[in-house]
Amino acid sequence: MYKVTFQFENGDDVTAFAAPGENLLEVARKTNVAIDAPCSGNAACGKCRVKLAGGELDSAKTRHITEEEYAQGWRLSCVSKVVADVEILVPDIASAYRSRMKVADLGSAEELQIFEKTKADIADAGIAFKNDLEVVSVVMEEPSLDNTMPDNERLVWAVEDACGVSSVKLPFAVLQKLAEVLRKSAFRVQLVIRRADDLAEVLDILSADEKAQVCGLAVDIGTTTVSALIIDMTDGAILAKASAGNGQIRYGADVINRIIEQQKDGGRKKLQDAIISETLNPLIDAMCGASGVSPQHIYRMCVAGNTTMNHLFAGVDADPVRMEPFIPTFFETDSLYAQDLGLHIYPHARIIMAPNIGSYVGGDITAGTLASTIWNSEEMSLFIDLGTNGELVFGNSEFMMSCACSAGPAFEGGDISCGMRATDGAIEACTIDKETMEPTLTIVGDEGQKPIGICGSGIIDIISELFRCGIISPKGKFIREGERIRHDKYGMGSYVIAFKKDAASVKDIELTEVDIDNFIRAKGAIFSAIRVMLGSLDFDVSMIERVLVAGGIGSGINMKNAVSIGMFPDIELEKFTYIGNSSLSGAYAMLYSSEAEAKVADVAHNMTYLELSNEPSYMDEFVASCFLPHTDATLFPSLEMK
Amino acid sequence: MPFTAKSGKFNAKINAVSIGTGDKAITIGGENVLPFYTFDDAIENPPKVGIEITDGGVENEPECIQKCYEGCASVVDMAKKAVTFEGVDFLSIRLEGGDPNGKNKSTEELIQLVKDVAAAVDVPLVVCGCKNVEKDAELLDKASSALEGKNAVVLAAKEENYKTIGASAGLAYKQVVGAESAVDINLAKQLNVLLTQLGVKGQSIVMNVGTASAGYGFEYVVSTMDRVKAAALSQSDATLQMPIITPVASEVWNVKEAAASEADMPEWGNQEERGIDMEIETAAAVLAAGSNAVILRHPESIKTISTMIKALV
Repeated sequence: MYKVTFQFENGDDVTAFAAPGENLLEVARKTNVAIDAPCSGNAACGKCRVKLAGGELDSAKTRHITEEEYAQGWRLSCVSKVVADVEILVPDIASAYRSRMKVADLGSAEELQIFEKTKADIADAGIAFKNDLEVVSVVMEEPSLDNTMPDNERLVWAVEDACGVSSVKLPFAVLQKLAEVLRKSAFRVQLVIRRADDLAEVLDILSADEKAQVCGLAVDIGTTTVSALIIDMTDGAILAKASAGNGQIRYGADVINRIIEQQKDGGRKKLQDAIISETLNPLIDAMCGASGVSPQHIYRMCVAGNTTMNHLFAGVDADPVRMEPFIPTFFETDSLYAQDLGLHIYPHARIIMAPNIGSYVGGDITAGTLASTIWNSEEMSLFIDLGTNGELVFGNSEFMMSCACSAGPAFEGGDISCGMRATDGAIEACTIDKETMEPTLTIVGDEGQKPIGICGSGIIDIISELFRCGIISPKGKFIREGERIRHDKYGMGSYVIAFKKDAASVKDIELTEVDIDNFIRAKGAIFSAIRVMLGSLDFDVSMIERVLVAGGIGSGINMKNAVSIGMFPDIELEKFTYIGNSSLSGAYAMLYSSEAEAKVADVAHNMTYLELSNEPSYMDEFVASCFLPHTDATLFPSLEMK
Repeated sequence: MPFTAKSGKFNAKINAVSIGTGDKAITIGGENVLPFYTFDDAIENPPKVGIEITDGGVENEPECIQKCYEGCASVVDMAKKAVTFEGVDFLSIRLEGGDPNGKNKSTEELIQLVKDVAAAVDVPLVVCGCKNVEKDAELLDKASSALEGKNAVVLAAKEENYKTIGASAGLAYKQVVGAESAVDINLAKQLNVLLTQLGVKGQSIVMNVGTASAGYGFEYVVSTMDRVKAAALSQSDATLQMPIITPVASEVWNVKEAAASEADMPEWGNQEERGIDMEIETAAAVLAAGSNAVILRHPESIKTISTMIKALV
């Protein structure tokens, strides 16, 4: 056995032991050291680079690491074997996702405003913001030799009386602590009650002097990012908010890689632990710590995630999601409780899952659709969730149609050599001077933050600007020369956005032809999906009255640039609205409002799912869309005029 | 009520592109109707037929074709002979020996050959590369320069090397640029857009939209050509109005139906007949689907296809 020491720029060392010849990335995974590996360790993405600080590694050379970098000690962990005691420096960019996410949750005032607007829209649509949880105080006569009714009957009688119901349910969790709480509080207690018609279920019992608080937890489990809110179930107030990277990331950037990973021996448990023990529980603890809410007072949870995330969260085999005919274990389920999953909240808390409607259209979309309120308007609306999977819903109050396309992780910076998620140091916007080809950058983070990489909205801007300035061809290949344009020995071109001296990264920040190609494919997938879905209804883009864009790509998204690269249809820019993390807003609504929960189920049942892989025209549309802005320039009349 | 046929002629036209110089120059394209729809409107320029030879000379030909070149000592001799066969409108020289994974002949050697062939014949010329994109960039750039003033077709610029070949053949030396894509209407169109954005005139481009030998999968070729013509004519798509030239020979003579000897496949019958049949069937099909020119190898196939064209147009 060899000793492997992982060192971090900000943090304590982690030590592990590895067998001779063991893969370094595997060792890191086993020891819970987060090394970003979007391609799941196939040496395809070049993201898992680490620096050799001592000892030695047997590492294959790859195109991701230059000779110079190799000499400096940079290695790809996925192609490195442990052959001696070794010290490894894990660069900050790799661990960035762990805690420092700035995602489209409620981080900024702007995002909060978007959230409030969504809430108001849902309320305007006639959804009452109230739920079936309440705190009821009851006082019982203390038992005596003359009054010998057992505790549970005594409580049931009291509840029937207080709530005016004829039946009361006491779960085992309450029964267990009943005697103690009743006697400690002299039979004056507060009860957390769920009401359903003529039934009252006692979720929890607290003594009269305890602070009774009924809270709920809303979570959006994204393939890349997890965002969560703790709310007060009585008034809907947000008590805490947080987000983090999905701990499953180290098992692959996309759902397919993770499904393959969960198929391995013990894999399902590993994936479930990665989301629950490593991601959600720390997030809950952090939020409770910050807000003073006791985790035991979280009596309900709502989860919105894609079909695969829902399965992995529940620890249910997700393999059938991937294999034809793509039939998941469940669309809807109400059989989950916190205690079944080991979540750090009240054990008997019910978990609401936003329903899935297909293998690739999941609860994040049904919840998001609720938040988009397209079901409440006669206007023909297009709702686009730009995630690792791009999902679309088109329709109005009469009908809704949905489809999903595989956009890949490019919108969140995956598959892009200098890509990153929208954390500090990410270039989120860019303009380029047509004459000098010099860029002007907007960077996420505090004043003076140096760039580290590029996030989705930044890539849209850079590609759009490179194209506008005639630096790249419609195929994304470099056609101008200059100081910032390079060609490597294989002839692959790249544009340097920030030279190493101006950046906080280990190398120049550049966008290569391969990156551009990956992104063109991602945007092509979205645009062709829009065309095929509308085409299947015999509609064209002029019928779209509004477009609602959601997802973690960030509020920095420039709609004009997104249109000019052919990602979105060429319609009036005023029709586009960014609605933030609609999946989380939807989960919030479902958690807080029983009507919203019912509405999502209703929306899910009324949505038609279009399987794009069955549409013969999809491949053709896709190839046509993999061009800037599009092979058919007449689809982008506003660009031709210029 | 009497039946009145509606004319199927379009307002749009396929570009008319001239190849070669002098008396033997040819023009392909120019029609405003679907392939061979002479009942809708006159087709001014019937499809043309070219003959293909390679830098490998007589030994490089299938046995059944070798006999047609009896007595030819060099590639130049072959070229002289080739243009005398019945129905030949132009000559295509394929520089397949340039392939770095094959014989890897030097660019100088091959360009000298191109010059010698060009000097020996007066018919329009097509120069085909070796299918290696890097080598072709170099080879076809030099060939464009060597053939300056000949108005030859340079086959072909692909997405990977269109900048070099397009700039050289289309801009610097005023040849006709062949734009090759892989059996996909969108890719064909994208390459035309890239070439025209580079500055190459649409009237100096011909397309090779990709082909295969007749048989399984060939329907992709046919539907691609069909759709290209439909877009060019019915939707007036100027980026797809370039005429199509289809190198049939290099596909056909490599498939087992044409290449397997009679000794190996006695039940398939005479090899020469099979080869000719494959070449004729493929050529007829791509012409019917919209090709404005085909490149063939066997004099017999050329004669037959040429006769077919005359009978139809």
